[in-house]
Amino acid sequence: MKVPLSWIKEYVDVTEDIQTLCDKMVGIGLEIEDVVYLGEKVTNVKVCRIVDIAQHPNAERLLCCKVDIGGEIIPIVTNDHHVKVGDKVPVALHNADLANGMHITKGKMRGEESWGMFCGAEELGINGDMYPGADSDGVLILQDGATVGADIRGEVGIDDYVLDVCVTANRQDCNSVLGLAREVAVALGKTCKQPDISYTEGTVETTDLVSVDVVADDICRGYYMQGVTDVTVAKSPVWLTSRLAKVGLHGINNLVDITNYVLFEIGQPMHAFDYDDIDEHKIVVRRATDGEKIVPLDGKEYTLCSDDLVIADQHRAVGLAGIMGGANSGIKDTTRCVLFESATFARKNVRRTGHRLGLRSDSSARFEKGIETYTNNLGLSRALHLIEQLGCGKITKGRISVGEVASDRIVQFDKRRIAKLLGIVIPDERILSILSSLNIATEIDGNNVKCVIPPYRDDIQRDCDLVEELIRVYGYDNITGTLMEKSRITTGGKTTEEKQIDDIKTLLCGLRYNECVFYPFAGKALFDKASTKPVDESVYIRVKNPIGEELSLMNRELAPNMLQCVALNLSRNNSELRLFEVGKAYLADSLPLVDLPIEQKRLSVCATETDFDSFRKDILQIVGSVTDGKIKLVRSSCDLLHTGISADIFVDGKNIGHFGKIHPQIASNFDIDVDCWYAELYLDELFRLARGDVRYQPFAKYPSVSRDFAFLCNEDVAVQDILDEFTCLSLVESAELFDIYRDEKLGEGKKSVAITVVFRDRNKTLQDSDIEKQCAKALKSLREKYNVVLREQ
Amino acid sequence: MTIAEIKTEFYNAITNCKTVSELQDLKVKYLGKTGELTAVLKSIKDLPAEERPSFGAKVNELRKEMESCFGQRAELLKSEEMQRRLREEKVDISLTSYPRRGALHPVTLVEREICDLMIAMGFEVLSGPEIETDYYNFQALNIPEDHPARDMQDTFYVTDSILLRTQTSAMQARLMERKNPPLKVVCPGKVYRSDSDASHSPVFHQIEGLVVDKNITLCDLKGTLEYLASHLFGANTKVRFRPSFFPFTEPSVEVDVTCSNCGGKGCSLCKGTGWIELLGAGMVNPVVLENCGIDSTKYNGYAFGIGMDRVAMIKYGIPDIRLFFENDQRFLKQFSK
Repeated sequence: MKVPLSWIKEYVDVTEDIQTLCDKMVGIGLEIEDVVYLGEKVTNVKVCRIVDIAQHPNAERLLCCKVDIGGEIIPIVTNDHHVKVGDKVPVALHNADLANGMHITKGKMRGEESWGMFCGAEELGINGDMYPGADSDGVLILQDGATVGADIRGEVGIDDYVLDVCVTANRQDCNSVLGLAREVAVALGKTCKQPDISYTEGTVETTDLVSVDVVADDICRGYYMQGVTDVTVAKSPVWLTSRLAKVGLHGINNLVDITNYVLFEIGQPMHAFDYDDIDEHKIVVRRATDGEKIVPLDGKEYTLCSDDLVIADQHRAVGLAGIMGGANSGIKDTTRCVLFESATFARKNVRRTGHRLGLRSDSSARFEKGIETYTNNLGLSRALHLIEQLGCGKITKGRISVGEVASDRIVQFDKRRIAKLLGIVIPDERILSILSSLNIATEIDGNNVKCVIPPYRDDIQRDCDLVEELIRVYGYDNITGTLMEKSRITTGGKTTEEKQIDDIKTLLCGLRYNECVFYPFAGKALFDKASTKPVDESVYIRVKNPIGEELSLMNRELAPNMLQCVALNLSRNNSELRLFEVGKAYLADSLPLVDLPIEQKRLSVCATETDFDSFRKDILQIVGSVTDGKIKLVRSSCDLLHTGISADIFVDGKNIGHFGKIHPQIASNFDIDVDCWYAELYLDELFRLARGDVRYQPFAKYPSVSRDFAFLCNEDVAVQDILDEFTCLSLVESAELFDIYRDEKLGEGKKSVAITVVFRDRNKTLQDSDIEKQCAKALKSLREKYNVVLREQ
Repeated sequence: MTIAEIKTEFYNAITNCKTVSELQDLKVKYLGKTGELTAVLKSIKDLPAEERPSFGAKVNELRKEMESCFGQRAELLKSEEMQRRLREEKVDISLTSYPRRGALHPVTLVEREICDLMIAMGFEVLSGPEIETDYYNFQALNIPEDHPARDMQDTFYVTDSILLRTQTSAMQARLMERKNPPLKVVCPGKVYRSDSDASHSPVFHQIEGLVVDKNITLCDLKGTLEYLASHLFGANTKVRFRPSFFPFTEPSVEVDVTCSNCGGKGCSLCKGTGWIELLGAGMVNPVVLENCGIDSTKYNGYAFGIGMDRVAMIKYGIPDIRLFFENDQRFLKQFSK
């Protein structure tokens, strides 16, 4: 909400400097977004009177003037021939700055001294709405009353501040000059004047002119109307248009300007209908019929539905309630008689209609925030006062009033509630004085506090609302910190899952991986890149109103974001990437969503400049940090990964993720030209397999025996399968690979696998015969299952 | 050989002996069962009886002398060998590079710091769904449909009644429904708003704090936040409340902390005010308690919501929120510790 300080001063006697004022306003909850001093760019410009004008000796187009700048006469050369002796004009003196960025210095023009420059409206940053005559080119001729020698800013009304105040959503009453003035008065401990709403009614009865029928009274809580006859449509005086200009509006004509003025000053949107355009002189407030068309003042045609509220005459809509009047009934130069509307339309309707039609206005913006019926009458009266003040016409007699009448509301509460919520006690006399400054009449009887809430404070409904009013004026600085000494002890902590995630992150850091954070949504284009074939968009949870298509689908995998990040890092010549993310896959049981979807916790890990074995060990170390379950790696069919260099990870038969080298096609989609290693783990699944409490195991009493074996087998036999044939035996403690050897002599497609097996019996010293028996079993099985045989030495 | 010859030869040999193993060989040569001295001793039988005792004594004297020599020489050689080994095994110890530990994301660092502190004050840490119902994100928090407060946040919708949560406050009603007071919980997590520039990201991180019990006051809220702020930004950090509005708290406050960059004197970070706007907070609105079936005449509480990205930006001097989501490894590595 933008408000000129000069307009506030109309209601409150503000003598404080601007900084103090702003601090005090912030102190009671009015955040100041911005303060603009209108005369900021205009310095060292004064009002002068021209005392002499002579032709420039060396230039036909120039005049040499002598001007009085208040006790001193200085020479000014100008090219503006319409200035006359005796005119008061703005003069920019030596070192003056102007609104258009010009800097003025003393100098000579074609040999004649000129100590400055006369200014036009543009150089002062003003227009015809702000000062009489300021809409024409050339030097601005000031009004007779201007004081010679005075700073020009005061004369042309730019010695003024415009405050941009951030009004919170509960204080719709502050979206007006009057509302803010009331708060400023509270902040400064001063009183706020009431707006002048006096006017004299003429003889024409309003009800003889027009009748009003509010059909849709559920979405129009109040509708007030009064007319003006013998209208003179004219330009508004500058004092009025200058205020509108400072809040960003142009003067149009006196009637329209008055409605805008009341909108900003009182916060009541108003509309003025041309009486002659209202068929049969009957106003009907009704819902639109489906398909009904209207052309509002913006000149475009809109198609309405039964959810929209219109103001209509007997035959057609003449206005879109609260949003914009109809082009068919607007104020024209020829308008003779006007009907002023001041109403309360339901917030929801204005909002929905405005959003659906893409049509907004200052008026609808106010209605969307909420208008109380309190301002209906006040706004209308104020408008009529201005009609009279500006001499626009004769006010009709009596007012048509339909709907509720705003009234005071009583809220009672227990005084102890104040200390209970705040933790401090506010003395009774302060309670009374604070509430009184807010126009809340209050009685305290023992612990009972009875408050009469003025109708514009719809936000005050119960005790805690009043407590807030008290403390914001009493001052939050009176709140001193305490540490819940009176509350009960609770045990804090993280959930098991949170702790497991913390541990995994710490482990990954130890393994030199860096944590990333990504947006949980992306677009089809990215998902397609991270796949060898186009993805099926329909399985993704879609945001209805995304910022863009590229942020419209919730992730089902973590890989696309990670690969994009790898590509970005590589493009910036970052090497040896070690990255991870703990994120989520958002998986819907069915779409469109009826219930909330599954948010599956996932871990993605990515590395470059490593190899399969090192990466495998990193990943299995993460898995092993959580679970003691039996790990099995199976060739993965994951579309993302190289078919020959990737594995699905099973723990106790459950798939908990996959890892491997990124598929060359996908790497090339991302312009990743180095080997890129990627793993994605399903943390929820993994955590379900977490180890329990540790139990101490005594050391083995009997010695172990280790034996080496060299096998000959086909290339495609998995080494782990060979090892497993040993590890499944009762006396085998461990079996590990120590060498793989390939040679022409072994034969095409063959390899030699050398392993070490450690045998131990926990109950006695091993005998050779025991070992032989176990080995024979393994060797037989290896031969039969995989055609793996012992190598001839 | 005579004893004197043996002695001379022995001293020559032992002086030339350079290693412990040569010395061992020499010892066998002279003192072994078939050694020189044993052979000499054996020759005693060829001597007249009266010379035998003195000859024997001389041999024994020599043996003792030799043993002592061997001992001394062994010590010397061992020590020389040790010195040589130490000399030969010397390495260049000057290099100072080492593999750096990976780093947690700065937002995670802030989250951990806040959680650790709040846990010590008796708070549980719980997280909730990011795809949330309109009910928990808005209605339960006293923000009915079409309420103007919904305009405060640009919401991403999935369906008419399901959305991407705009605030971790969406956890408040879930927590209050799940558990009876006393309740002290913090909920960290991602939140979503349709907004994107240098200081706004469509996704960012909040941590919600909620306390519900008997006897909870606004002073307790201030005390808790002072405690938290002094841990995050330094012991001298001050906290200021300004009136504000949130539909789910009453009274509601904006909370500023003294600028950690300039200590409150005024700088570019705090736009010369000395204060930095950090979070929104307030006393839980009784309407919210009642929505969750909690007796608002017996219980009250406070709630606060902190933007963790913002805290990280202030704490680490990060100028642009987009750096958090870009994940340039040069950025990430700076937070290694």
